[in-house]
Amino acid sequence: MTPLLLGAIGLALALPVPALLSHAAWPRLAPAAGIVLWQSLALAAVLAISGAALSTALWLVTDPDPAPWRVVLHVLIMGIGVLVWARFWWAAWHVWSETSQRRARHRELVDLLGEPHGALPAVRVLAEQTPVAYCIPRLRDPRVVISSGAVASLDDEALQAVLEHERSHVRTRHDLVLEAFGVLHRAFPRVLRTDAPLRQSQVMVELMADDAARRITGDRPLARAIVALAGGSTPAGALGAGSDALVRLERLRDPASPRARRASAVASGVVSAVVLVVPTVFVAVPWLYHAVEVLLTR
Amino acid sequence: MAPSSRSLGSLERSVMDVLWRASSALTVREVQEQLEAGGSADLAYTTVMTVLDRLGAKEMVSRERDGRAFRYTAALSREAATAELLNATLDSSGDRTAALVHFARTVDPAEAAALRAALEEIEAPGTP
Repeated sequence: MTPLLLGAIGLALALPVPALLSHAAWPRLAPAAGIVLWQSLALAAVLAISGAALSTALWLVTDPDPAPWRVVLHVLIMGIGVLVWARFWWAAWHVWSETSQRRARHRELVDLLGEPHGALPAVRVLAEQTPVAYCIPRLRDPRVVISSGAVASLDDEALQAVLEHERSHVRTRHDLVLEAFGVLHRAFPRVLRTDAPLRQSQVMVELMADDAARRITGDRPLARAIVALAGGSTPAGALGAGSDALVRLERLRDPASPRARRASAVASGVVSAVVLVVPTVFVAVPWLYHAVEVLLTR
Repeated sequence: MAPSSRSLGSLERSVMDVLWRASSALTVREVQEQLEAGGSADLAYTTVMTVLDRLGAKEMVSRERDGRAFRYTAALSREAATAELLNATLDSSGDRTAALVHFARTVDPAEAAALRAALEEIEAPGTP
């Protein structure tokens, strides 16, 4: 039973649970806890599917007289597990090397084309009308880049909000969070995944950076900055797929009470613990005992 | 005294500006002269050469042999470099990992209107 149960848990955590949870607004009230929640879901899915593959392998070599349909089903489960693991390592290497190369090249160009901004060592201003602001996160020498078109469309406080937002991304290495989700996203074959974990983690990271900016400038400059940069004239081909701007602005318009934020953090913590602990304690650990027993008595 | 990496960075920018303005390939000496004409303080010949080497390693500068010296040109024009930068910046294809983290992506007109309406409420007098 263990392979089927773990396989079912893994698939549930990979597809329907994230799809349902992405419609809930409450995890966004406490974004840091929300990231933990999404990471736990993804990790639990990988663990369950790996467990399913391992337990299947044991069953296949120890069952004296397996029915053909069960053999087919179990080989399928094991195949998915092996596939996810292989894709996971391939994606980890690929994401890491691809992003670090693209960032290195991008930073070289930015340093040659951009002007330093005032006394801020990591900020570069590009002479470009298209209003863009972004950061190039790196361990050494990260950059915050803003176009002169963006500077022109922002008042001083709003500009400060943008810079604080981006510096918070760089300082707290939000890129590592996004890369981890990028790797997990690619680890699951297309039919076995939803965009929800990656998309939701992107939103959470933006909300965390927004909170860092709010602490310095307050809500209104940040709101003006979001509208100025997201609602500006559309450069051809620059439409982002799905946007966080409205979610971010609505949060500034209707701030949650501290109590609601605490409740959200607690709920995220509880769900994270449940998805990680329950399958481990009730399925994986008993199976492990069983496995040791079987292998020792043979 | 060896320049710090910070000032090497700004020297790289100045050297690229010289090469982008130049109509033909330049020797190290010519780059040095133009930098000094452009107001840079006295620069050692070897410093200029170091900067050109660094730019060559980044594939921003290419060099060709001319008799006993090398002549240097920008490997890509300022316009091409800007275009490459902007393409990477505005690239929003979904499955590629975000090498850059944007402040806010441009939205469609309907969403922009919703954004402005929300902003009006936030900035309305009387709200905290």
